[in-house]
Amino acid sequence: MLDDDRDALAAEYVLGTLSAEERGQAEALITIDPGFAEIVRVWERRLGELNVMVEAVEPPADLWNKIKAQIGGGKEPIPPAIAETAPRTAPEPTAEIARPQSELQLPPEPAQDLTPDLTPDVTPDLAKEFDALLRQDLEDKSTTAALASSLLPPEPPAAATTSPAAPAGAPAAPKTERSADVVYLARKAQRLQVIAGAMGAIAALLAVFIAVDRLAPGLFSRGRPAPAVATAPPRSRFVAVLQQEPTAPAFLLSVDPQSRTMTVRRMTAAADTGRSYELWLIADKNHSPQSLGLVGAEEFTARPLPANFDVEAMRRASYAVSLEPAGGAPHGVPTGPILFTGKMVESLPGAPS
Amino acid sequence: MTQALFRPSTRPSVLGDNRPEHKGALVVGPVMLMQSELVWLLGAVAKGDEAAFERLYAETRAKLYGVLLRILGRPALAEEVMQETYLKVWKMADKFDPTIASPITWMVAIARNRAIDIVRKRGDLWIEEEPEAMEVASEAPQPLARREMTEELKRLLSCLGRLDPEKQRIVLLAYYSGWSREQLAQKLDIPVNTIKTWLRRSLLEIRECMER
Repeated sequence: MLDDDRDALAAEYVLGTLSAEERGQAEALITIDPGFAEIVRVWERRLGELNVMVEAVEPPADLWNKIKAQIGGGKEPIPPAIAETAPRTAPEPTAEIARPQSELQLPPEPAQDLTPDLTPDVTPDLAKEFDALLRQDLEDKSTTAALASSLLPPEPPAAATTSPAAPAGAPAAPKTERSADVVYLARKAQRLQVIAGAMGAIAALLAVFIAVDRLAPGLFSRGRPAPAVATAPPRSRFVAVLQQEPTAPAFLLSVDPQSRTMTVRRMTAAADTGRSYELWLIADKNHSPQSLGLVGAEEFTARPLPANFDVEAMRRASYAVSLEPAGGAPHGVPTGPILFTGKMVESLPGAPS
Repeated sequence: MTQALFRPSTRPSVLGDNRPEHKGALVVGPVMLMQSELVWLLGAVAKGDEAAFERLYAETRAKLYGVLLRILGRPALAEEVMQETYLKVWKMADKFDPTIASPITWMVAIARNRAIDIVRKRGDLWIEEEPEAMEVASEAPQPLARREMTEELKRLLSCLGRLDPEKQRIVLLAYYSGWSREQLAQKLDIPVNTIKTWLRRSLLEIRECMER
């Protein structure tokens, strides 16, 4: 896996777009590879600022009592599973932090949020435009609903592609079937870009954000999980990182005990020109390695677990990859050098009940 | 159209009365003002200070709940993850490093990670229609208070702004809704391979832009 691949995996892990399988792999890498864990931290810092744009919602009043009840016993040692997946493993920061008195004494701020206090030559206009944009936006709730529903899966694709991109996405090409609201937004977004000059990129982005935000409610309310699904049993998975040195994972092996499938993902392993990588399970010293088959040439190789394999034994076993003649070791025992080894760790521990 | 990052509580803060020097901060709550105080609170929490933990909760609960509700949809589930998140914050406060992250970014990352783990593990059925879903997000979106725009956020936004609008949308929707590539593909009617390529390219472009 190239550096860019690692970075993209870390970024998508932070963004949240990975599948459960890939999240498990990323989490295994975080626990095993400090370099990867650092990349994840950098991405959390890069993308984490977006939380400012998520609207705060007051939780139910009795929630605090539930939380308080849980910490009643005082500080306990952190269970390993939680510690391993922790996003930070930084040195102790707390002792030297002085209380910032001056900040605490600041008077309450007025509720005016669009007070322009950045780049004063540009932001007043921008703020005004922005405000007007939003106000207009809110006046037509039915349009919002229509737009929202147009994004939903059952609708024809043509409708879906026009709505969310339109406001900032394609301001110069309003289509006739679009609602006046969207055209308005699009024009506004265009004007924002012109007016704001250097801030244009931000303005356009905020316009997109508004569009997304106002479209999202419909999506969310239609996209809720069914109760039956919400109580589905959590699926634990196991991942082994097969490597030579700690910083260069060559393969990731993940096992899903529920579906009895295994997946091998190629990471840094060199192309196997003319020969084949073969995966072996080593239960213990008294047993000879059992072949789990060849690793395919593609990024992912997925196959069912052999029927006679006990998942618990698989969890405890060691794994190895050897380089064999094309088509695999001829007699079912490894002939080539063992290049990469690793053991299983549990990833994606089950959701607490 | 007020935009306080941490919405004022409808009930009086338990600690508000004996903390006169803090008057107003619970109501104001822009991140710029609160950041250093949150760092201080996390430091106290690391030493097992329950009162500081309650303050930390009071100041961050609405943001975290908002994030979780967006991703999980169901209030009961969001509440569950709130409990897990704060328990983790309580136990791991000593791992927080203010030189690496802001307190709220750190806490949101813990909450988001957990929420996304849950929705991913529950698989595709997650996105089935749920009729009695609550309209959490039906309120109007709020413009950002200028002062909430940290330097980091401004940089991120300007870098995001350089992407094609369609790619901006995908990155924002992913962050904001916690959607997987498959969900993005389905909801936006774009082939999943295209989503995959766009996400990768966009994130690497963001990296390049922000490292400049």
